[in-house]
Amino acid sequence: MKKVLEGSHAVSEAARLAKVQVIAAYPITPQTHIVEALSQYCSDGTLKARFINVESEHSAMAAVIGAASGGARAFTASSSHGLAYMHELLHWASAARLPIVMAEVNRALGPGWNIWTDQTDSLAQRDTGWIQLYCEDGQEVLDTTLQAFRLAEAVNLPVMVVLDAFYLSHTFEPIDVPDQETVDRFLPPPSPRIRMDTADPCAVNQLVTPAAYMEMRYNTQLAMEEAQRRLVLIEKEFETIFNRTHGLVEAIQCEDAEIIMVTTGTVTGTCRQVLADLRSQGVKVGLFKLKLFRPFPADLICRHLKSAPKIAVIDRNISFGAGGIFAQEIRAALCNQNPHPQVFGYVAGLGGRDITPDTLVEIYNHTKNNPAPAEETIWIGLNQETVESWNN
Amino acid sequence: MKDPLIDRQLPLFIPHSSISTAVNKTGSWRFFHPKYEEKTAPCSAACPVGQDIPRIEMLASRGQLKDAWQTILDENPLPAVCGRVCFHPCESACNRDSMDDPISIHHLERFLGDAAITGKIKADLDPRPSTGKKVAIIGTGPAGLAAAYFVARLGYGCDVFEAASEPGGLLRWGIPAYRLPRDILEHEIARIENAGVRIHCKFSVNGRLLENLKKDYDGLFVGCGYARSFMLNIEGEEFASDGLDFLNRLGVGEKISYFGTAAIIGGGNTAIDVARSLGRIGAAPLIVYRRRIQDMPAFEPEVAMAAEEGVRIMELVAPIRIRETAGDSFSSLPGYELTLQKMKVSKKEISGRARVIPDGDETETIAVQNIFVAIGAVAEDLWQFPDSEEAKSLRLSHCHFFDQKIPLIYGGDLASPVKSVTDAIASGKQAAMALDTYFEHGTNAIEERLAGCRVGAGPALSMDVYLGKDRKNRTAHIVNYDEIVSDYFQSAARNVPSTLDAGQRIRSFTEIESTLDKNAAKEEAGRCFNCGICASCDYCRLYCPEMAVMVENARRSINMDFCKGCGVCATECPRNAMALEEEII
Repeated sequence: MKKVLEGSHAVSEAARLAKVQVIAAYPITPQTHIVEALSQYCSDGTLKARFINVESEHSAMAAVIGAASGGARAFTASSSHGLAYMHELLHWASAARLPIVMAEVNRALGPGWNIWTDQTDSLAQRDTGWIQLYCEDGQEVLDTTLQAFRLAEAVNLPVMVVLDAFYLSHTFEPIDVPDQETVDRFLPPPSPRIRMDTADPCAVNQLVTPAAYMEMRYNTQLAMEEAQRRLVLIEKEFETIFNRTHGLVEAIQCEDAEIIMVTTGTVTGTCRQVLADLRSQGVKVGLFKLKLFRPFPADLICRHLKSAPKIAVIDRNISFGAGGIFAQEIRAALCNQNPHPQVFGYVAGLGGRDITPDTLVEIYNHTKNNPAPAEETIWIGLNQETVESWNN
Repeated sequence: MKDPLIDRQLPLFIPHSSISTAVNKTGSWRFFHPKYEEKTAPCSAACPVGQDIPRIEMLASRGQLKDAWQTILDENPLPAVCGRVCFHPCESACNRDSMDDPISIHHLERFLGDAAITGKIKADLDPRPSTGKKVAIIGTGPAGLAAAYFVARLGYGCDVFEAASEPGGLLRWGIPAYRLPRDILEHEIARIENAGVRIHCKFSVNGRLLENLKKDYDGLFVGCGYARSFMLNIEGEEFASDGLDFLNRLGVGEKISYFGTAAIIGGGNTAIDVARSLGRIGAAPLIVYRRRIQDMPAFEPEVAMAAEEGVRIMELVAPIRIRETAGDSFSSLPGYELTLQKMKVSKKEISGRARVIPDGDETETIAVQNIFVAIGAVAEDLWQFPDSEEAKSLRLSHCHFFDQKIPLIYGGDLASPVKSVTDAIASGKQAAMALDTYFEHGTNAIEERLAGCRVGAGPALSMDVYLGKDRKNRTAHIVNYDEIVSDYFQSAARNVPSTLDAGQRIRSFTEIESTLDKNAAKEEAGRCFNCGICASCDYCRLYCPEMAVMVENARRSINMDFCKGCGVCATECPRNAMALEEEII
């Protein structure tokens, strides 16, 4: 049934339909609407879950780790500083192989204090062992959240469903909300492989010496690699039931493209329009949407990008001293291809600054007009007056 | 279309073990180890008899009233008396004062003492087997009674000789009934007699009898107090009455009344008792004191209560002459002219008190109807200490020990530096320990043996420690407020019983203070921090991350196989009953 929902509530609806059993969260803009709706569902009985109020995000993650250790389907949501505060427990959740699902609304980190969208918060957690899926619109958010539970439980790894602040979290769109029966067919109740039980006492996650630690890490790496294959299968099954699919990545008109724009999140939607406009002018441009970031789909990236002469990667994030994070990773994935494309890295739209069709056209033109990138990272849309004033 | 591969299980390699984590002996990580180490509470160290106050309050707060009372009796045979008349230095030392108000320790002691009397509770006596030796005790004041009680407990036969018609000494003859009702005293004495003490009244010991006692007994304790009052040595002294004698007459029930102004010369507790008693039988009491009010040796609360009851105090005046005046039946009552020399404070101080000197020749004469003298007393000649060249002697904190043909100990006011009921009891207890040590190990062993029984670093001695009970394990360290984890305690008002107001007080000798009721007493005991002792709160066990704290038969111990020395238990212990010690490798 189609409903007009904001992106945050697309997450809430998916968590409700997934029949999560434990939710623990601490409010933070722009995530709050997600758990606000869920707490309402818990209190009015719509959702038979235990909602644990906690005093911090650190405790929220600890609580869902506890719940998942007991075999419960557990969910939380956070943003920005809240996510940063969870950091050590993010490592714990993945190493303990707990199938937790978290919605993470991309928000800039302070100072300067800023509540608008920026991907640096989730990308700072890139090495914690969480699967990361970047969504483009409300429907994808809902569908991906449902798939996330299936994926997490299939490979025993936690999944982060990532959505842009405001552009997605607070924007209302018509979204198809499936009925419970259909969802139940796709997502059966959990049959946890890790389930602590007082009747069968055991110790978990105790000291591991150098003699076994590396194998433990290798086992997690194998699960991460497997996650990409499983997500393909899950998407297929999802498609047979719901008649929709989003893909791990999406390559649009990349086959003959001279320049391929690489986007994540809501910028993809804007870029679809720019692509249509440029193609109508006879320009050979392509669009590559990167949704799955961890595990990193290097094979898909190479397959779709290696033949193009130029790639323009748009990063709404910054790793200081290195550049946009997606650009670095794509560059690394392509470097052993021979020949390989020139990879232009663009940093744009930090802290919620708009990335408009004009911004994307400017990026296209810059890529077209330069045979090779003059520098690792090109900052787009900087106020030159401000920058120049620093030199006076 | 379901694909079975989707949910096919992956190899899962995580740390998991179904055997106990006990194989991981975290004790090997330890650099420090905690230990249960009970310490000394400041109240106990300040108490002249060294009562185990934190334990008494702990038991009382749990409603174990008999156990609490017995714990007092271990160190002090007169709880109902001391709960009334002791000047309670324990409360001045109480750590709770740093949070809100000190515990009402003396009210609780009185409550426990009275509860045992009204409940007709019999004390569980646990005397040592008879030694076959017997001890004579002269005097039935607090020193004599305590000495008798403790020597009997230590297994000695015991006879107590009292010159008066009834036992109690100063408790009966010196303390007015509004502070210590007679029936309370009689109950306490009866319990001491039941413990195997024989009291012989109307048995006045003179020189000849004293020699006989030395032949018939193996040891002798003298606790006769100061019975002979000091004289004023001024003209007209014969017109003044003796304050102690006045209190004695009231004590035996003589009906006396006075009218007009009664001057009381002196500034000690006796002067205050005399003045307040006179106020109750019709006189207008006026205390005449040569120093300033703040220099009076009387206990401050007593002075304040006297003032409330209308007792006036003239300070910085010394009597120099008394003359009889006939008075005339119209304008003035018959009585005396009391001439006073005005005094002033000299710059020099003597032992903390201001020294006073005559203020030139200035005098003042006042007309009074009666004059009482209460400027202190001394021992009768018979009780002067023997010549120490004739006998080996030992000066103890509360006693003077002489090794003659038999051990002879002077105690109570004769030897105590502080003249108080509780110090007198302390001297009786000390004498019992000294006699017992003498009989077992000789004179030379006494000082060291007694030093080992001290509560904290102070002079108070513990009979429990002497008898080798658990209390001997406490360290001498006195717990201070900074060592209490005050987060575990909430502010709560001090419980005090009701008292008669001054208007009601001066009409009779009815007791001024009442006894706490049972609920208030329990609540008040619950305010106690129980400084330095384990109150079984179990925070050590609850907080131990290794579950290394074990409880067996209500006793806690630490499993050193698993204690990693984090110190959380010792840090969280609300009352500093634990300690952390560096591991010696």
